[in-house]
Amino acid sequence: MNHQRIVELTLLLLAAFITCATVALAAVGEQVEITWNVVPYLVALLILWTIAHITLRLRAPTANGVLFPIAALLQGLGFALMVRIDPSLASRQATWSLIGMAGFIAVTIGIRNPQQLSKVRAPLGIAGVLLVFLPLISEGAPSGSEISLALHLGQLHIIPGELGKLFLIIFFASWLANYRTRNTEEYLGQAQHIEGDRSRLIPLLGGWLITSAILIFQYDAGSAIVTFVVFMSMWWVAAGRPLDLAISFGAIAATIVLATGTLPEFQTRLSAWIDPWSNTQLGDAITRSSFALAGGGLTGTGPGAGNADWVPGVTDHFAFVPIGEELGFLGATAVLSGYLLLTGVGLRIATRARREFDSVLAIGVTVFLGVQAWASIATTLRLLPPSAVSLPFISINGFALLTWHLALGLLLRISEIGPEAADQTSVLRKIKLRSRSQS
Amino acid sequence: MTRRILHIGVALLAIYVLLFVQLELIQVVRADTLRDHSQNTREITMVFDAPRGSITTADGETIAETVSVSGARPRLRQYPYGSLYSHVVGFISAEHGGSGLEQKHNDFLAGNDLGVRIQDKRDLFVDRARTGQLELSVRHDVQLVARAALGSYQGAAVVIDPSSGAVLAMWSSPHFDPNHLSSHDLAAVTNDLAALNSDEERPLTNRADSYLSEAGAIFTVVTAASAIEAGLTDLVVPQKNTIFTETLTEPIKNKRNVTCGGDLTSLLLTDCRTGWATIGIDLGKSELSNRSKIFGLTESVSIDTGNHLRGLLTPAKVDLSAPHVAAGIGVQLSPLHAAHLFATIANNGIRIRPRVVHQIQGHDGSVIREFAPELLGQPITSDTALRLQTMLAANVERGTAQALALDDVEVGGMLESGFNDHPHAWAIAFAPVTQPELAIAVLLEGDELSDPQVTETVVARITRSIIEAVLRLPSPNLEGTQ
Repeated sequence: MNHQRIVELTLLLLAAFITCATVALAAVGEQVEITWNVVPYLVALLILWTIAHITLRLRAPTANGVLFPIAALLQGLGFALMVRIDPSLASRQATWSLIGMAGFIAVTIGIRNPQQLSKVRAPLGIAGVLLVFLPLISEGAPSGSEISLALHLGQLHIIPGELGKLFLIIFFASWLANYRTRNTEEYLGQAQHIEGDRSRLIPLLGGWLITSAILIFQYDAGSAIVTFVVFMSMWWVAAGRPLDLAISFGAIAATIVLATGTLPEFQTRLSAWIDPWSNTQLGDAITRSSFALAGGGLTGTGPGAGNADWVPGVTDHFAFVPIGEELGFLGATAVLSGYLLLTGVGLRIATRARREFDSVLAIGVTVFLGVQAWASIATTLRLLPPSAVSLPFISINGFALLTWHLALGLLLRISEIGPEAADQTSVLRKIKLRSRSQS
Repeated sequence: MTRRILHIGVALLAIYVLLFVQLELIQVVRADTLRDHSQNTREITMVFDAPRGSITTADGETIAETVSVSGARPRLRQYPYGSLYSHVVGFISAEHGGSGLEQKHNDFLAGNDLGVRIQDKRDLFVDRARTGQLELSVRHDVQLVARAALGSYQGAAVVIDPSSGAVLAMWSSPHFDPNHLSSHDLAAVTNDLAALNSDEERPLTNRADSYLSEAGAIFTVVTAASAIEAGLTDLVVPQKNTIFTETLTEPIKNKRNVTCGGDLTSLLLTDCRTGWATIGIDLGKSELSNRSKIFGLTESVSIDTGNHLRGLLTPAKVDLSAPHVAAGIGVQLSPLHAAHLFATIANNGIRIRPRVVHQIQGHDGSVIREFAPELLGQPITSDTALRLQTMLAANVERGTAQALALDDVEVGGMLESGFNDHPHAWAIAFAPVTQPELAIAVLLEGDELSDPQVTETVVARITRSIIEAVLRLPSPNLEGTQ
C-alpha cells in the first residue's frame, strides 16, 4: 500500500466531511433556501473526488498525497458557499467540475512524462497568446464599470485568460529548460548563476510585452501582476541574474507610469481604489466587501447567515468575501493557509523534480496558483486596484476551474517519483553538491 | 537553483503575510469602525429579506408590515397608508438602509434584540425567527385628521398627551411614500430617492422636529414663566410703543405700532412686545437662557423616531439681547419643541419626554418592553403652571387667540404670524384647560401666507379640527374626513 495515497484518502475524507457539514449548516440557516436538489450535485462532486483518487492510485501511485485534498477542500467550500448565494449556479458548477475532472484525468493518464509537452510548445504558445487576448480582439476593451473580460459565444460566457496563461507557462518552461541545457555552467559547478547567452533576454521581453498589453488594453492590474510575477519567478529560478531582474522591474514600472498618465480608464480604477468612498460605481464593490468582511468579524456569521450577494461579483472575483463574512477571520485564515500550503507543496515538488523542464514548469504552475489566489484576495482586501482575478477552485468560473484542474494534474504528475525515467540530472546534482561544499 | 526556488518561496510567504495583516485589520482591528461607517447599509440590507415585525398605531391600525411575495426576494415591506406615516415610520430599503422607526428600532423589528429573540424557554434551544412588533402611541384617527386639516399647505402638526408624553399625531407636509423606497425595483428606488433628496421642498425632512422657525410671541410664555417664578406677578409695565435697546440692533416695536402695557395677563392678551422686552431687561439674559434650558428648549432631547428635539438658543443666537429674547424676536423653535413646551405647562410644570413608541410586543402579542413616561424634571412650580394656564385660557377667551375657541371645551393657546423674512404662522394650544388631554403645535409656512389675518384664520381652523378629533367632539369644521 502506498503511503502517499493513504494520506490522500484520509485528507479527502476530512475534506468531504467539512464540505458536507458546511452545506448542511448553510441549509439549516432559516433564511436560506437550499433545497434538496442541491444534494445530487454534492454527491456528484464527491463521486468525482473518488474517481480522481482511484485514477491516482492506478496511474500515479507515488504522486504527492496532500495536493489533491487541499484543492478538493477549497472547491468543496466554494461549492457550499457559492451555491448558497445563488442555488441556480449548482448545476453549472457541477458541470464544470465534471469537465475539469475530465481534464485532470486526461492529464494524469495522457501525460506519462511532462517532457512530452515540450514537443508541442509552439502551438501551445500561440494558443496561449490567442486565449489571453481573444476576448479583447472579439469584444473590445472593457468599458466603464465592466470589470471582467469575457468571450460571449451565444449563451456561453467564457473567460479563457487563465487557460491561456497556463499554456504560456508550459511554453515558457520548455524554452527556459532548453536555455539551461544550452548553458550548463551552474550545473557543472562553475558559477553561482548562469551567465548564458543573449537569448535569455527574449523571454523577459516577451513577458514584459504581454504584461504591458494586459495592463494597457484590459486595465487589469491584478491579471497583469499575476502574469508578470509568474514569468519573473520562472525566469529567476532558471537564469537568476539580478541585473536583468532589476531591468524588468524598471520596464514594468515604466509601463505602469505610462498607463497611469495616459489612460483615463486606468485612472478611474486607480482613483476608485484610492478613494472608494466617493466613487460609487467602481468603489461600491470595494467598500461593500470591506463592510461585509467587517460584518463577519472574528468568527463570522456562520455558513448561510451572511449577506454576501450584496457585494457585486461575489461568486467570481469577490469570492473571498463570503468566506470572510460567513467563516470569519478564523475561517478566512484557514482558507488563506490552504493556498499557502498548496504553494509550499508545489515549490517542494519543484525542488525535487527530476528534470529541468519539470522543475521550471512546477515553479510556473505553483506561482501561478499562489499569486492568482493572492491577487484575488488582495483585491477584496483593497490591497490591489479593482481587477478581475478569480479565486482558484472557489470562484464560479468554468474555464478557470478547468485550468486549475489541468494545473493540478501537471503538478501531481511532476511530483511522481517514477521508476521508468532515468534520472538524467543525478550526476550533475552530485557535482553541484560537491562544488557547494567546497565554496 | 534550489536556492532561488527558496527565494520565490520567501517572497510568496512575504506577500501572503501582507494578506494576513490586512485581513486582521479589516475583520478584527477596524471592524467596529467599518460596521458603524455612515455608508454601511449592510445591517439594514441583511434584514430586508428577513421576517420583520409589524408596526401598529395605538388604535390597532397596521401601518407597516412585511408580506410574503413570490419572486426573487421572498418578502416585501409594505406601508398600507402610504405617506400618512412617512415621517414617523420612515422606510427600509434593500440598498439605501432606512430611516425613522424602521432604522431606530431595527433590533426589535428584526429580532436581533435578545428579549425579542428569546420569548419562551424553547427559544433557547431552537433558533426561530422571532420578530418584535411595535405599538405606537400615535392615534390613526388623529393622524388622518391632521393630514386632512393641513391639506395642501406646507407645514407640520404635532399632538402630545401632556400627562404621558405620548405623541398622538405627527404630520409633516410635503411627504413621501415609503412604499416606493422599499420596492424590489432597486433602480426605481435609487431614482426616487435621488429625486426626493434633490427636491427643494425637502419632502424627506420631518418638519415637525427638524424645521426651526422664529417663535415670536410663542416664546413669551417662557418669559412669563420666568417673571412669575421671579415674583414679578404684580408688576405693571408702563404703556409704550417702542423700546430702544442698548445694543445697536433695531428698536423693538409693537405690531401695528400700538401702545400697550399693564400686568402680565394683559401683555399676553395684547401680544405686547415692548412690555415683554421691558420685563426681559429686568430679568436679564442668563435667567431667560436658564429657563429655556430647563424647559428643554436649548438641548437636543432624543425621541424614539430616531429624530431629535433641536435646541433653539443655539450658540449663534446667544448674542441676541435680553429684551429681544424676552419678546421672542429671533428665537427659533421646532413644532415638536413648541408642543413639548405647552405640554409641560399643561402638565402642571412637569416635563415628560415625548415618545412615539408605546410598547414592543412578541409574536403572540405579549408585551416584551413597555416604554413608560420618562420624567425630565420640573422647570416651573405647579402654581406658576396654573397661572400660565389661566393666562393662556384668557388669551383664547378675549385675547389674540380667539380664533382657537371651541363651543364645548375651554382651550388655552396662542396664535402668532406676520413674520417678515420667512412667512409662517404658529398655533399652539392645549385643551381642555381644567384637565388637559392634549397639547398641540401647528406650523404653516409658505408664500401664500402673506396676509396675517387670513393665515391666522387658516392655522386656527386646522388646530380646532385636530383638537376636536383628539377629544372626539362632533366636528363642524371639517367635512368628510376619512
